[in-house]
Amino acid sequence: MDGVSPLERYLERCEGQFKDDLSASPQLFTPMSPYDVDLPIQTTEDVWGSQLNQPKDLSTDFSVDLSFLPDITQDDKEQNLSEDGYEKQKELDGSISRNEDSGIIVDESSLSYSGATQSSPEASGTCPPLIPMTPMTPVTPASESSGIVPQLQNIVSTVNLACKLDLKNIALHARNAEYNPKRFAAVIMRIREPRTTALIFSSGKMVCTGAKSEEQSRLAARKYARVVQKLGFPAKFLDFKIQNMVGSCDVRFPIRLEGLVLTHQQFSSYEPELFPGLIYRMVKPRIVLLIFVSGKVVLTGAKERSEIYEAFENIYPILKGFKKPS
Amino acid sequence: MSSTVASPMSTLASSSSGRKSTSFTPELQSMMFSLGDARRPLHETAVLVEDIVHTQLINLLQQAAEVSQLRGARVISAEDLLFLMRKDKKKLRRLLKYMFFRDYKSKIVKGIEEDDLLEDKFNSSNTNKRQKLAQDFLNSIDQTGELLAMFEDDEIDDVKQERMERAERQTRMMDSVQYAEFCESRQLSFSKKASKFRDWLDCSSMEIKPNAVAMEILAYLAYETVAQLVDLALLVKQDMAPKAGDPFSHAISATFIQYHNSAESTAACGIEAQSDAIQPSHIREAIRRYGHKIGPLSPFTSAYRRNGMTFLAC
Repeated sequence: MDGVSPLERYLERCEGQFKDDLSASPQLFTPMSPYDVDLPIQTTEDVWGSQLNQPKDLSTDFSVDLSFLPDITQDDKEQNLSEDGYEKQKELDGSISRNEDSGIIVDESSLSYSGATQSSPEASGTCPPLIPMTPMTPVTPASESSGIVPQLQNIVSTVNLACKLDLKNIALHARNAEYNPKRFAAVIMRIREPRTTALIFSSGKMVCTGAKSEEQSRLAARKYARVVQKLGFPAKFLDFKIQNMVGSCDVRFPIRLEGLVLTHQQFSSYEPELFPGLIYRMVKPRIVLLIFVSGKVVLTGAKERSEIYEAFENIYPILKGFKKPS
Repeated sequence: MSSTVASPMSTLASSSSGRKSTSFTPELQSMMFSLGDARRPLHETAVLVEDIVHTQLINLLQQAAEVSQLRGARVISAEDLLFLMRKDKKKLRRLLKYMFFRDYKSKIVKGIEEDDLLEDKFNSSNTNKRQKLAQDFLNSIDQTGELLAMFEDDEIDDVKQERMERAERQTRMMDSVQYAEFCESRQLSFSKKASKFRDWLDCSSMEIKPNAVAMEILAYLAYETVAQLVDLALLVKQDMAPKAGDPFSHAISATFIQYHNSAESTAACGIEAQSDAIQPSHIREAIRRYGHKIGPLSPFTSAYRRNGMTFLAC
């Protein structure tokens, strides 16, 4: 591609910047809610990891200085992290960038319950002893609740780059970009870290899918924005919003769906000829659950992580009632 | 006139000899099990059910083709089938609910499967397409407003309710393995084997062919016919079971006794084994009762009855 050599020059320049960033950032943290824990520091950690392990390509570039992107409100908060929790996260996320997706599962579960046991194998020796994180949902210690935490599988988010884009230009100069105007009026771009796909429209709006956590989705969106910026468009990062979150888990016992559909008629639809799962529309929180005979449950339609956890805690006792005895 | 379907075994024999290579008999046996029949439905019953469903669907297709021609269209579309069903509100509502559920399910599954997300963007016009189609069409033919009222209507569908309750009762006593089998049987449908279904209906030899949505509806109607037959046959079976203290047990209809005796095996144990499953005689009795016109105005209630075919599904 054309931009390779100027790109490499740019990357060399950026490397010098890294060190500054890393040393500067720790001062910015102050305690905050556990959710946003796996964050921005993650970005620089991420880049370290990726710089060392992956061949230089367009994507590693961006994490460098994302601060230029004026992000309304949330940005400042993200710079703040809780003390110990953050330390752990840094290690975890460092390991995440090295071990693709597997580390992420541990990440999620450790967020809501005291993940001390789980995170120790993942974290390297430098990780300080962990304190239990405050749970997302306001309640019940693990023993009273189901003890099962739904894992996030996919997050769909949108952001407004606030400038008109020339899709053809983008498709020609960016790596991993597809553009087929006859089929669909957007550029499809993919990055490897975090592994996501983005649809970029000429109006400047962008949809980012495939991330496994809120922060990864945000990070990925910023990387895409950086790509667009590097191609010469005055891209901003406005109105980042998570549109949908999908989680899944396994209750580990077979469920008698016929019973469930009969007693919860107003909420459930079950047409096994069409779809093997029961579709349960929970009202509060407004989540759609797909419940399968095998005991697997998929939750979708959430705008926040807590909704997924709450929905699962609501449905678990109901499912237990329809456990199929073997 | 309605005897074309309720005819005795002679026509059954002749039509099954003329049967093409595709046969849904094993699938039908599983389907009947999932709808409430015994663990292993009888082969003869399944053959009879297949024959009935086949005949009814062919007739339905022909009538739909006529309607299509009236419209001047080149394919049979969903509108034609909806038009044929306009007289029976309950069944029409059930069909509409099915179509909406199909739309809804596609929407949700797309949101979950990331790979499908892109396809979804490409085909974003398809969300709720069946619902829109149905709504537009019913809007155009609705004279009195009662058809459109169906969309807002939230009444419980009694037949569906009964089926759900029956399934619940059936599964309560099953263990894990049996239940897994039951679930697999429930997932069988004509729409899963679309090409076999098309061959079975001999669509290729027709002048006007049904389009994709019409095929979906036909698969649904075939399934509904089987379900109705099982519902009615179970009712007949229940009626025929001798109940202690039932004052009318001596007044069982003559036709039933005739068929029942001819189908019965002589061995006593054979009777035991067969008594659980639905017999062909039950099915025939159900059809006979269904086609029986009762009441002063019944000959004039449905236009399509003029052709002598009382459709189970619509």
